[in-house]
Amino acid sequence: MFDHILSILIFFPAVAALLGFVVKPAGIRAYGVAVATVEFVLSLVLWLLYDPNVSGMQFLETLPLVPSFGINYIVGIDGISLFIIILAAFFTMLGIATLPQNTKDEKNMIVTLLFLQMTMVGVFAALDAIVFYVFWELSLVPMLYIIGAWGGPLRIYASIKFFLYTFAGSLVMLVGMLFMAYFYYQVTGKWSFALLDWYRLVLPVSYQVWLFLAFFLGFAIKVPMFPFHTWLPYAHGQAPTIGSVILAAILLKMGTYAFIRFSLPLFPDASVLFMKPIAVLAIIMIIYTAMVAYAQKDIKQVVAYSSISHMGVIILGTFALNVEGITGSIFLMIGHGVVSGALFLLVGVIYERRHTKLMSEFGGLADVMPRYALIFGIMLMASVGLPLTINFVGEFLSFLGFYQQSHILTLIAGSAIIVGAIYMLSAFKKAFFGNVTKKENENLPDLTKTELFALVPLSIITIWLGVYPKPVLEPINNSVEAVVELMHEKAITPEAKLKIPDVKAIRIADAAVVKEAE
Amino acid sequence: MEKYLYIALFAPLVSSLFAALFTAQPKKQFVGIVTSLLIFTSFVSSSILLVYILKGGEPIHVELMTWMATGGLYIPFGFVVDEVSVVMMMVVTLVSTVVHVYSNGYMDHDKSFNRFFAWLSAFVFSMMVLVMSDNFAGLFIGWEGVGLCSWGLIGFWYNRESATWAANEAFIMNRIADLGMLIGLFLIYWNTGTLQYDEAFAKLPYLDTATLTWTGIFLFIGAMGKSAQFPLHTWLADAMEGPTPVSALIHAATMVTAGVYLVIRAHPLFDLIPHVGLFIASLGAFVAIFAASMALVNRDMKRIIAYSTLSQLGYMFAAAGLGAYWVALFHLMAHAFFKALLFLGAGNVMHAMHDELDPFKMGGLKKTMKWTWIMMTIASFALAGVFPLAGFYSKDAILETAFVEHHFIIYTVLLFTAGLTAFYSFRLVALIFHGEERYKLFGIHPHEAYKYMLVAMSPLLVLAIIAGAFQHTFFELVEEALHAVHYHIHSEVVVWIMTIGTQAFVIAMIIYAYKKYARKDIKIPDGTSPVEQSFIYKLLFNQYYIPYFYEEYIVKPYQELSEIFWKKVDLKIVDATVDGIAKVLYSTGAATRGMQNGNLSTMLRWMVVGLVLLLLIAVAIGITVRYSERITLFLSGLGVL
Repeated sequence: MFDHILSILIFFPAVAALLGFVVKPAGIRAYGVAVATVEFVLSLVLWLLYDPNVSGMQFLETLPLVPSFGINYIVGIDGISLFIIILAAFFTMLGIATLPQNTKDEKNMIVTLLFLQMTMVGVFAALDAIVFYVFWELSLVPMLYIIGAWGGPLRIYASIKFFLYTFAGSLVMLVGMLFMAYFYYQVTGKWSFALLDWYRLVLPVSYQVWLFLAFFLGFAIKVPMFPFHTWLPYAHGQAPTIGSVILAAILLKMGTYAFIRFSLPLFPDASVLFMKPIAVLAIIMIIYTAMVAYAQKDIKQVVAYSSISHMGVIILGTFALNVEGITGSIFLMIGHGVVSGALFLLVGVIYERRHTKLMSEFGGLADVMPRYALIFGIMLMASVGLPLTINFVGEFLSFLGFYQQSHILTLIAGSAIIVGAIYMLSAFKKAFFGNVTKKENENLPDLTKTELFALVPLSIITIWLGVYPKPVLEPINNSVEAVVELMHEKAITPEAKLKIPDVKAIRIADAAVVKEAE
Repeated sequence: MEKYLYIALFAPLVSSLFAALFTAQPKKQFVGIVTSLLIFTSFVSSSILLVYILKGGEPIHVELMTWMATGGLYIPFGFVVDEVSVVMMMVVTLVSTVVHVYSNGYMDHDKSFNRFFAWLSAFVFSMMVLVMSDNFAGLFIGWEGVGLCSWGLIGFWYNRESATWAANEAFIMNRIADLGMLIGLFLIYWNTGTLQYDEAFAKLPYLDTATLTWTGIFLFIGAMGKSAQFPLHTWLADAMEGPTPVSALIHAATMVTAGVYLVIRAHPLFDLIPHVGLFIASLGAFVAIFAASMALVNRDMKRIIAYSTLSQLGYMFAAAGLGAYWVALFHLMAHAFFKALLFLGAGNVMHAMHDELDPFKMGGLKKTMKWTWIMMTIASFALAGVFPLAGFYSKDAILETAFVEHHFIIYTVLLFTAGLTAFYSFRLVALIFHGEERYKLFGIHPHEAYKYMLVAMSPLLVLAIIAGAFQHTFFELVEEALHAVHYHIHSEVVVWIMTIGTQAFVIAMIIYAYKKYARKDIKIPDGTSPVEQSFIYKLLFNQYYIPYFYEEYIVKPYQELSEIFWKKVDLKIVDATVDGIAKVLYSTGAATRGMQNGNLSTMLRWMVVGLVLLLLIAVAIGITVRYSERITLFLSGLGVL
């Protein structure tokens, strides 16, 4: 059975969702929670079976789809994708369990969420470009529904903007993929969309540049990178809590994940070439959106813009192109997933009670809802990247990694730790400190059991992986080393050879030092 | 011995977690007692370790587990007890124990009694991590941890706007410096391949001076934040919004000295870059006089002491910058004792005066608060550096260092500052305890603090008096670790002249302060006297207008720029462009949909248009092909082809 665990992980939620249509509305929540829990347990089994010492793909499955064009159903995972899949399963479970009691069309919502789960796991497990693309685009549909059907007053505008914007980007990416397959055909005489086949291709630099740009557009809109980010505040602003949680925790990571899966190993020379411009974009993301976040009046928008700012750090780490930076950026994807997911859940908590998200409506909440304030405080500190919280590990490594490439850019980007503290602390102060001024806030109930059920595990993970990141960091590190090694080997230009460290040589040198010491 | 290391380190963590269990509940006296006992346990373990090290024991080094490992980076949770860290551990745990016991009384009536102890113990834990770590990353954990606890404790009374504002200010300003610190860490890692102290320091001599200089500068920027050096100093005075025991522990004795500790810990680096050291010393001397000048006219008891702390930190940096690390560390220790004592005394006064902070509204308190008066007076004597109290030995050593190293400007500045220190300290003592009982105007009935609070303060009192006697022991302890040397002035006559001269100057300033402020006819200033109208007074009273400058030229522009970025750039430019593209597509469709409305005559008309267009294109192509040669010739004549 475990041979096909990945396919089970992908399609079990979808099958369960189809069956969900016939479940009675009264039982749908229990059904949804049960399915999501099984899925989550399966993802943990996956982790258990995963061999952290192997750097390559594991649990590979292949099934021919269109053999004449080299399109196959190929799935497999490594340390880079493993934890995002677990995170997706975890958040789907939490999300379904904590759906507000008064959700309209609860059944449709749960079915939609289960479909969404299929697409999420599919994207991170797919190793064939076409399969990847299919899941990538399919993930838009459930999200479109979630925002469009359960969203706020501007939901139609927000959902269509979300859909069209990201869709437009992905089409360009598709053209890039088709060209890659065509190029593969030119070189080998065979069509192939398999990523592992593509990895073996060495492309001329001029091709790399154009293909990099084509993929970049698709990924950058998804991340979202400045200046393609404006769909995100609308999507978050209108989406129901569950939508925002999944969007921030998982869907945004598709973009950054794809950079590491596609852009870096396929186009190492172009990655080096575009490193500085992308770093500049990342810096703009970090500082500019942090300032925009500071100007917000709606606490959910603060978290939404803060997401963009943090994604900037992830991009920076990715384009450090060394093991430290890329490992850090992947770890930060997990960290940011946990923390921003938790923050959106927390915002949802107060929205459920007061039906407003304006910070001016609150104040003094620490008096009324001390537990809520405590968990918000933990997540706040994780968000500003305090050591011993999950975000610090990723942030630290990302900056550390990029420092090897550029001193001055890292120095400027490092202001993330300042501007991040400014908007987060001022938002916290506005909502939680001071005196309770509004009558409606005087008797707000503190966190309920269900809410604690979601938030306490998140808090524990936040601190656990901050103190002891090794179980996650080690598998990531091993897979990243393989990626960097591949990039170094494939690099053509001397500059790229220089900028992408030679992991193998370093390892041999280290071993020599150890031997000498002994 | 490792056992004691773990006890010293983790007892405060246990203490914090224990207190945290009760944060949601009303005051529980046992929380205060248990936490105090646990911190005391930590103190006892530290003492055992100190004795062990004093007896010549090898430094204890343990590695708990891996924290981060990726690529070439390896960071463990490693802790070390050596000559330097054990001194810091003693200072931290001793003052913490005193402050914990004292807080049982001070926070007696506070509804968040339990929460206070949770934060306070968490602070002690972070501080222990900071001083005991064996690598820069571990130091940074403690560094940020104390920042967090400082945030929580400055803003402890979170219903007050001023308190939460000050808490955020402190956090953010420290973060600015932390960025510098992080860059320093990155520089160390990429140049030495490790963040472990011993390994990194061993490789430093092989690096070029430019790299070392930058590393030193960035690390020092980190130190400037925590130790509130100019221009990142404004948060310290505002941090006085926190409960007074917090000011004593965090903002006088321990956290603010973390920057000094960093410079001392990284001395192998700063030894290699004396020019950066000289800058540190000069900045230290500048801050010493700069802060002292602001303390001269301030009318807030706690802020005066805070400026005094700032000024003394300047002294420490002056010593450390000149390479006299042991002198800096010694002053750090002595200062911790008398300054914490001074703050706790101020806490007693605040309690008695119902949180009044203006010393002009006090006066004559020595009758009702005899012990507090004695303690604060002795602490002030120690601060002023009067023989034979602790401050005399430590401060004198700094002055001698500057003199021996031929930095006479620094020496003069520090000497002059010593006079200012004496003046403002005794201005405060005179205003609070002597003269007319002005508080009666406000209907306050002061009372002495609880006995056990006074007893708790007594160890500090004793140490403030006798710490100087340990100078020699201390020197021997750190001699090897810090390459300590005695700074001896060769001519004995000069030594005597200097010592007696300094003492005479200081005592003269004390007497002058008494004369001026212990008088019966002190009036509460109302802003009308000619002194208060003078430019200098206004300048000093408004802290050189630096907070005003920051508010007007940094905070407000940042806010305005944020608004502009959001409302103008993000919504009006970036997003509007996206929507604009969408609108163009949409309106093109809307405008051209008439072509396909299904009306036969419309369709025929468009068919004709299409036909004509296609014909025209065909003709154009035909002509081009026919005359292609001529066209080429013509175009090349124009220089196009």
